[in-house]
Amino acid sequence: MKPFTYNGKEDCPKILLDEDLPEFLIAGRSLPEDAFDFYKPVFDWLQEYAKKPKQETVFRFELEYYNTASSKQLSKLFIFLKELQSKVRIVWCYHHDDVDMLENGKRFEKLTGLEFSLVPLPAVDDDNFEIIIN
Amino acid sequence: MGMSNDESYPKGLAFELYDSFRSADLSYVYHGLFTQKITDLIILLAEINMNRSGESAKIKKRVFSIMVESLQNITRHQDTTDEYHGFFAIEQKDGNYFVTTVNLIYNKNISHVESLLKKIKSLTPEELKIYYKSVLLENEISEKGGAGLGLIEIARKSNNKVSYHFHRINDEYSYFYFHTCITPQDEGESFDDTDLVQMDNVYLLHQLLKQNGVQIIFNGLFNQESLINLLNIIENQMAGLGRLKRVVFNLMVEMLQNIVKHAVKSTDKDGSQGVFFINKANNQYILNSGNYIDQQEKEPLIRKIEHVNSLSIKELNDYYNQCLFDFQIDNSKESGLGLIELRMKSNNLLQYDFYPVDTNKLFFTLKVIVDSTNL
Repeated sequence: MKPFTYNGKEDCPKILLDEDLPEFLIAGRSLPEDAFDFYKPVFDWLQEYAKKPKQETVFRFELEYYNTASSKQLSKLFIFLKELQSKVRIVWCYHHDDVDMLENGKRFEKLTGLEFSLVPLPAVDDDNFEIIIN
Repeated sequence: MGMSNDESYPKGLAFELYDSFRSADLSYVYHGLFTQKITDLIILLAEINMNRSGESAKIKKRVFSIMVESLQNITRHQDTTDEYHGFFAIEQKDGNYFVTTVNLIYNKNISHVESLLKKIKSLTPEELKIYYKSVLLENEISEKGGAGLGLIEIARKSNNKVSYHFHRINDEYSYFYFHTCITPQDEGESFDDTDLVQMDNVYLLHQLLKQNGVQIIFNGLFNQESLINLLNIIENQMAGLGRLKRVVFNLMVEMLQNIVKHAVKSTDKDGSQGVFFINKANNQYILNSGNYIDQQEKEPLIRKIEHVNSLSIKELNDYYNQCLFDFQIDNSKESGLGLIELRMKSNNLLQYDFYPVDTNKLFFTLKVIVDSTNL
């Protein structure tokens, strides 16, 4: 199956959906103008994947920030993964001092009943992080 | 009724500010900390605003270079105590552009700057050119470097349409108000009195911002592009504030995206006209937004806000979870989560108001308070 990749930009996360990789990935910041449209290709790809999924599906989230419109798409994604005929594990990464992102992971774990690994990421100098201006 | 019973500043500051910007024809205003990085972002934001107007390349180039020089003046000559913020405004009226900056100046430097400005204003364009070269050669530059040249350059680019004003703050500092006009005509006619009246407006506005502890304000066109730049500015301005920065960032995204998605679009359809500012009172950061909405959106909006305001934190949490998985509301326009998030993350009641504009439109203001001791 043809992989779906998106490189990400200042307001949209990087996305890697490739069966040949050990994990699927969504990483970065997610505050697109239209979250519904932005995540549509992800669902389209997963619909195809769902026809013949791998025995085990690991989905890694390395989100630094996401808005409420994106969180809705994430919850939809988890519901979809829950139905998948595959052993699904979510790797939920958060910056080690970002209690909100940790809580978000716990919330999704509790509400979806999916298997979550909550993984703290090492400290980064907060102030070095910036959105890249094109 | 809106819950605008806050005593920390006059009722309806967001509307008052927006209204003064509008009556002064200020299309773009920034007040806050200026750093090199923030300055770059302000220029980007101003360009976004200016590109909409389909201005000629020649005028744009002149406005741009005056903007850059003016902003560099602010960045180089600002107080570092965080108490006195710089100010930058662009105004567009009848094809003319006005750029106004306010920054701190040491009282001891005023006479030097003032005599320089008097000299500049007395020169013809040809004389200015010669003077520019001589200053370059003589290296007659202030200790922080370049200020003299910057002012001469601005005078050259604006055909000497500059005016200024000093306002004493204390024994050490004054505010330096600097106002430039860029006209499409290249004749070197001098400034008339109406421009000075304009500067009075800016002066009053600057005082108002200062009195109300406004840390940063943006008035102009809101769209996804300006939103990203604004967020970048806030990130730079709030660097080092940890969780508080994240919470403010978070709330700001939701408030700005509310404007981008729900506000009445401006006539050129490239965004929505509005205002966003953060002011600080004691330990509170107060986020304010103001934008136009259609009359028919008023009642549903009140219902939504009053509903989230009526819930306890526990109830809010349940309501959030319920909405998160309610895919009846799942489209390009809304997720149904924004207001709940604002109420939950700020841990305060949402305050709002409506001001009638005409029969179809209202000006909607929203205020979200974050208590930094309560995080």
